[in-house]
Amino acid sequence: MTADVRPTRPWIRWAVGCLLVLVLLAPVFGWASGAVGYAEPIGNAAHATGAADAASTVLPGLLPDYSVAGLDGPLGTLAAAGIGTVLTLGVALGAGRLLER
Amino acid sequence: MHIPDGFLDPWVAGLFWLASGAAIGLAVRRARGALGDERTPLLGVVAAGIFAAQMLNWPIPGGTSAHFVGGAFAGILLGPSLGVLAMTAVVTIQAFVFGDGGIIALGANLFAMAVVDVLVGYALFRACRGVHETGAAFVAGWGAITVSALVVGLGIGSSSAFAYAVGTTVPIMVVGHALLGLIEGAITAAVYGYVADARPDLVLGRSTDGTAAVEVGT
Repeated sequence: MTADVRPTRPWIRWAVGCLLVLVLLAPVFGWASGAVGYAEPIGNAAHATGAADAASTVLPGLLPDYSVAGLDGPLGTLAAAGIGTVLTLGVALGAGRLLER
Repeated sequence: MHIPDGFLDPWVAGLFWLASGAAIGLAVRRARGALGDERTPLLGVVAAGIFAAQMLNWPIPGGTSAHFVGGAFAGILLGPSLGVLAMTAVVTIQAFVFGDGGIIALGANLFAMAVVDVLVGYALFRACRGVHETGAAFVAGWGAITVSALVVGLGIGSSSAFAYAVGTTVPIMVVGHALLGLIEGAITAAVYGYVADARPDLVLGRSTDGTAAVEVGT
């Protein structure tokens, strides 16, 4: 279309670098938010209306609460972030490729 | 923002499933024409980046915490259809693999984060980009998360667990996320600005003003 067509590969390398940085930051932020205590507005709304005890777990998930069995603390968070990011990349790419056809 | 199971009445959860199912179905149909060798990898990378970014809980003094949701960012960068698909992948994996957000409540979480956040963010960005592009990304990130919070507030407030106290849940959700949304807006603007600067060809409509026809390299 225009003259500024650049090869695809370099931006993918750059993007993977960005993903890696985000994954490495996950345990750091996990520690920092734990230090101030973790509460979201939906939790506050639940407390205000007496709904807090209504939360139930129908399916805990394979890696509940972003933890990996056997890996405690920051290491578990790091592993969960890595696994989740690669899985999301794979699922979204796979879905995209399937829909291309 | 993620609703756990047990919070929503079955009819509320069902309505959210219907609404998100219809919207995601439409996005899938419309996405077929938008995907290709350039856009499909971008879809994967944006989804993965949003998953990773959602794990970063920004600590806020006073005992609250928020994470970037990213629906508006996905909508701006990928367009509405692919944005909905990217966020659907993220929210679904969070529920099934990490137990973040319920399974029965997944329809509601998809509607709030993968449909409303994406579409409202995209619409706000389109409406404001003529004034200031990075500013429009901020408004999109902030406004979309606030509207998503309103949707969640209405959903939980219409359920028996919350004593049908819509008048309580909506203000808590909207005010809370309108404040936390300033971070969402700032990150959306910063990352959008960076990507638009580094790789303008990856940004939809950068050179043809908002049409999805920019498929440089395909």
